[in-house]
Amino acid sequence: MWNRRKHLLLSSLSLLRHISSTSHLPRLHPLKPSPLLSPSNSFLPPVDSQLRNNLLLELPLRGFPRNLSSSNSCSFCWNCGVVGPTSGVFLACGSCGAVQPVDASVDYFQIFGMKKIYEIEEGDLEGIYKDWQKKLHPDLVHSKSEKEKGFAAEQSARVIDAYRTLKNPLSRALYLLKLEQIHVDEEKTVSDPDLLMEMMEMREAVEEAKDTQSLNEIQSKVKKKLDSWSKSFKEAFNKQDFGSAVNCTQRMKYYERALEEITKKL
Amino acid sequence: MLRLALKRSLRLGPAVSDTPSAAVASRGYHERVVDHYNNPRNVGSFDKEDANVGTGLVGAPACGDVMKLQIKVDEDSGKIVDACFKTFGCGSAIASSSVATEWVKGKQMEEVLTIKNTEIAKHLSLPPVKLHCSMLAEDAIKAAVKDYELKKAKGAPKQE
Repeated sequence: MWNRRKHLLLSSLSLLRHISSTSHLPRLHPLKPSPLLSPSNSFLPPVDSQLRNNLLLELPLRGFPRNLSSSNSCSFCWNCGVVGPTSGVFLACGSCGAVQPVDASVDYFQIFGMKKIYEIEEGDLEGIYKDWQKKLHPDLVHSKSEKEKGFAAEQSARVIDAYRTLKNPLSRALYLLKLEQIHVDEEKTVSDPDLLMEMMEMREAVEEAKDTQSLNEIQSKVKKKLDSWSKSFKEAFNKQDFGSAVNCTQRMKYYERALEEITKKL
Repeated sequence: MLRLALKRSLRLGPAVSDTPSAAVASRGYHERVVDHYNNPRNVGSFDKEDANVGTGLVGAPACGDVMKLQIKVDEDSGKIVDACFKTFGCGSAIASSSVATEWVKGKQMEEVLTIKNTEIAKHLSLPPVKLHCSMLAEDAIKAAVKDYELKKAKGAPKQE
């Protein structure tokens, strides 16, 4: 392992020297540095990981396989120096198991290896979530360094956020809009009379419901409406009709509130 | 139970098990908000079809709140003689609409249009995150007045 690390260090430093001597930038492939560079014969002093990471991150790397996780293009494990994967996200090192620092450019869909669409496989979420926690949970780094404990706490928390956001249809919808940079003005009041009358009557019905049966009836009606507006959101979003998409999420919010109230009463 | 759920869901106040007075004393809902929540004034409904009633219905989609504020106007003097509200939302929204109904009573319609959300927020010491609740109340007042005036305008041609 030390030889591989040393080889990588040598290769990267040689690359740097190569770049500084030429004006144009080389094409690089993360896993095959050797064919492009001649290994240096001179003994190089060990470079500390911080400096190495800084040097490497400043290299603009072109000709990269642009995939879902293009942000990993020059990720190296801070612990053992092994290159991160070309596909999939780099949350924990595949070689030494060290938890990596949070990369905020990786979005929640990438963490779960899913496409950025509304109609994801909700059933798959839990399995993937548990798999990640087996690698990232803070309890697993009990005896590790403070640095790694910190990474584990943040990385694990991010995966939890991702799981919760993607699991709930409304939060998933709002997250998708956020990724599309659609800004929803949270403070704006609406005065659409039909929408509000419907919501008012719905909430009144919940409040006045006297028994479990009537509450269950209301609950199933509201769930149906939520489902149909959820489908409308999907269609609007896929057509990139963001105005309608936002409308759908607003309605969904109202229905979710009603469902919360029903749950409290039940 | 609802009160506790309210506090828990809004994460205001130190601990769920605290009594209301303790929660009020420490950082939490302002005592006026708690008062309006426990002793709401003017909850109810007027007949929407009544010519002297203006109904303002507003909503805040971000939190799923709905607020209905109704005013009963004396058509000769243009004074608001009675007001009531019905709000589904957080404690701050309920308190804001309650305060609004108290403040509009006995005032002229033009006067109530000048009620600002900042005054309501100040009265209730609302935190920044709850300012939109007072905005909702201000919009509800304006909507109620507008509704009454629309009704009056529609009604007038019939009388001639």
